[in-house]
Amino acid sequence: MAKKTIAITLLIALSVITYFRTSSADQNPYLVTDYSRLHPVKVERVVKGKEETQLIHLLQDARKQHLKVSIAGQRHSQGGHTYYKDGIVVDMTGYNRILSIDREHKKITVQAGATWEDIQEAVNRYGLAVRTMQSQNTFTVGGSISVNAHGRDIRNGSMIKSVDSFRLLMADGQIKQVSHSENAELFPLALGGYGLFGIILDVTLLLDDDELYSVNTETMPTADYVRYFMQEVKTNPDIRMHIARISVSRGSFLTEMFAKNYTLDHSEPLEKYSKLTVREPWTAPGKLLFQLNRSFDWGKTLTWDLQTAFFTEESGELISRNNAMRAAWQFMEYDQPDSSDLLQEYFIPVRQFDDFVEAMGKIVRSENLNLLNITVRYVNEDNEAVLSYAKQDMFALVCLFNVPLSSKGQSHMEQSVRQIVDEAISRGGTYYLPYAGYPSLEQFRAAYPEYRLFFQKKLQYDPGELFMNTFYEQYKGGGAE
Amino acid sequence: MNLSWLIRSQSLVTLASGMIYPYYLLFLKNLGNSYSKYGLAFAVFTISSALVSQWLAPRLDRYSQRMLIASSMGMMAAMLAFPWVMSYSVVLLLQLLMGICNAMQKMSERQLLADYTIPGGRGAAIGNYHFWTTVASGIAVVLGGYLIDWLTINVLFYFSALVYAASAWAVWRMQKADRGKESVQAQKTKSVNG
Ligand SMILES: Cc1cc2nc3c(=O)[nH]c(=O)nc-3n(C[C@H](O)[C@H](O)[C@H](O)COP(=O)(O)OP(=O)(O)OC[C@H]3O[C@@H](n4cnc5c(N)ncnc54)[C@H](O)[C@@H]3O)c2cc1C
Repeated sequence: MAKKTIAITLLIALSVITYFRTSSADQNPYLVTDYSRLHPVKVERVVKGKEETQLIHLLQDARKQHLKVSIAGQRHSQGGHTYYKDGIVVDMTGYNRILSIDREHKKITVQAGATWEDIQEAVNRYGLAVRTMQSQNTFTVGGSISVNAHGRDIRNGSMIKSVDSFRLLMADGQIKQVSHSENAELFPLALGGYGLFGIILDVTLLLDDDELYSVNTETMPTADYVRYFMQEVKTNPDIRMHIARISVSRGSFLTEMFAKNYTLDHSEPLEKYSKLTVREPWTAPGKLLFQLNRSFDWGKTLTWDLQTAFFTEESGELISRNNAMRAAWQFMEYDQPDSSDLLQEYFIPVRQFDDFVEAMGKIVRSENLNLLNITVRYVNEDNEAVLSYAKQDMFALVCLFNVPLSSKGQSHMEQSVRQIVDEAISRGGTYYLPYAGYPSLEQFRAAYPEYRLFFQKKLQYDPGELFMNTFYEQYKGGGAE
Repeated sequence: MNLSWLIRSQSLVTLASGMIYPYYLLFLKNLGNSYSKYGLAFAVFTISSALVSQWLAPRLDRYSQRMLIASSMGMMAAMLAFPWVMSYSVVLLLQLLMGICNAMQKMSERQLLADYTIPGGRGAAIGNYHFWTTVASGIAVVLGGYLIDWLTINVLFYFSALVYAASAWAVWRMQKADRGKESVQAQKTKSVNG
C-alpha cells in the first residue's frame, strides 16, 4: 500500500509540475504565434491553402465578413508577420507543388508554399541548384522572397536577384503576373513585402549549376576579418560561399573568429558527392551541447572550442552546392516554456564592422544579455527592394539570443536591442525586419527611409487593408503620411 | 513471488511502450500526409497480431514465458530500427513485427496472470497488475516528453529499447524462479512417493 501511495503521488506530482511549467501563453495550443513564441493571439481561423479558386473565394469571404487576412509559410519570421488578432491565417505550406523545371534556361516554377528542400529534391538530379537562399532549407519560397532573404552565397546578391517572376493574388481578387517587365512596380514591393501586397501563388526562380566545393575553415582575430574578407575572399572568384562566426566564449569574447569558405573544386567529379544528405548527424549531442551553451559560461567556451576544432578538422572536405545549402538546424530547436531563442540581425557597412562589433559587445556585456552565437555573412549592395537592407556592401551579423518571455525580460531585451540598433544606424547600418519587433518606430524609419513609399503603395494596392499582420500594425505608424 | 516478477516485467513493458507510444503516433502521422495512410499503418499491425494469435494459441500454455521474452526482444529491435527508417514500406514492416510482438505479449500476459492466480481470488492480483502497469506508463509518458524536449525522439526510441531489454531480463528471472519452484515440487513429489 505504501509503495502504491508513493508511486501514484509521484505521478501526480510530476503531472502537476508539468502543468505549471507549461501553462504560459507561449505554450497554449489554442493561440497562434510564430517561431519566436512571442505575442500569442487568438485568430478567427487558420485555413490551409490548397487551390487557387479556394484562395480567391477565401479573400471574397474575408472582405464580406470584414476579416483581416495574414499569410503564413513556415512561420519562421519572429515579429508577428504571419498572423493578426481575430484575423484569418492562410497557411501556404500545403500549396507546395513543383510546377515545372526548365533545364535549358535553368529555371523552376513552384507554388509558393514549396520549401527549399522540395526544390533541392526536384532539381538535384539535373545537376541544378538554388541560387540564393538562407543557410537552412526549411523555409518556404513565398516566405523567403517576402523577406528578401540572403544566405551564404556571396556572388549572387539577395533573393530578389534570383526571382524571375511570380503571380500575385491581390486584395481585389485579381491575379497579376509580376516580373521586371510586367506590373514591374509590384516586383520590388511584394518581394520584401511581408505578405502585405497579396498572396504570392507561384514563383519562377533562376537556378545555378550544382558545383563541388572544398570547405576550408580559418581562424583569426576579429580585427583581421575585414582585411581577410576583402583581400582573400572577395577577390577570389572561386570562393562561392562564405560564412564566419564570432566567438561568444568568455575568454575570446568577440575578439576571435573563424571563417568558412566554399571554394570551387575540380579535383573530383561532382557526381561522387551530389547525393543529397538527408539525415542530420549528432542531433542529440548537439542539442545537449547547445543547451550548455545557453546555460553556462563554460558551456559557451566549450561550444566555441569544439566548434572551432570540429570545423578546422573538417577543412578540405568536399561538398556539393546542394548539400552545402542544407545546414543542420535540428540541434538548435528549442521549445522550453518561458524562454525562447530569438534572432536579431544587423547589416553593417564593411568598413564599420570592427567598430560596431566593439560597440555591440559593450552593450551585450553591460546589459548581461545571453548571446548564444553570432554568424557573419556578406551581402552585396542591393537597392532594388523598396525596403532594402543593403544600401551598400554590408556584413550581416546574425545574433542569437536566449531571451525570457516574461514581460520584464521582454522590456529589458527591447531596450537593449534599441541601443544596439542605434549603434548600427549611426554607422550607416540597418537591421533585418523578419525578427522580433524590438526596434522603435523611429529606428525603423531611420533604417528604412523608403517606408513612406512602401506604405503608400500598400494602401494604393490594398485600400481596405485586407492583408494585415502584427508587423504592419506596429510599423505603419499613423498610416502612410 | 512469480506474480510479482510478472508485474515487474510487464510494468517495464508498459514503461517502454508508454514512453514511446504517444510520440510514436505523432512520428507516424508526420510520415504519411493523409490520415488514411496513417490508418493503414495501424491496420497492418492488427492484421499481423490477429493472424499470429491463431498460430500462437495452441502453443500458449507451454511457451508463454518464452513468448514474453521474444516479444520484448522484438520490440527492442523495432525501437532500435525506427530512427533509421527512411521509407514508408519499412514502417509497415516494423508495424508487422510489432503486431506479432503485441500478440505474444498480450496473450502471454493474460495466460500467466490466470496461471498465477486462482478462480475466486483474482481481484487483488489483477488490481495490483493494473495499478503498476498503468502508473508505469503514466510516469513514462511524462518523462518521455521531457526527454524529447531536451534531446530528440530518436534518443527516446533508444531509451525505450533499453527498457524493453530490461523487461526481457525480468521475464527471464521469472522463468528461473518458476523452474526453481518446479524442481522443488518435483523433489517433494519424489520424496512423498518414495
Ligand atoms: C533559425 C532561423 C534561421 C534563419 N536564417 C536566415 C538566413 O540565413 N538568412 C535570412 O535571410 N533569413 C534567415 N531567417 C529568417 C527567415 O528567412 C525568414 O523568417 C523567412 O520569412 C522564413 O520563411 P517562412 O517560410 O518561415 O516564412 P513565414 O515566416 O511564414 O513568412 C514570412 C513573411 O512572408 C509572408 N509570406 C509567406 N508566404 C507568403 C506568400 N505565399 N505570399 C505572400 N506573402 C507570404 C508572410 O506573410 C510573412 O510576412 C532565419 C530564421 C530562423 C528562425
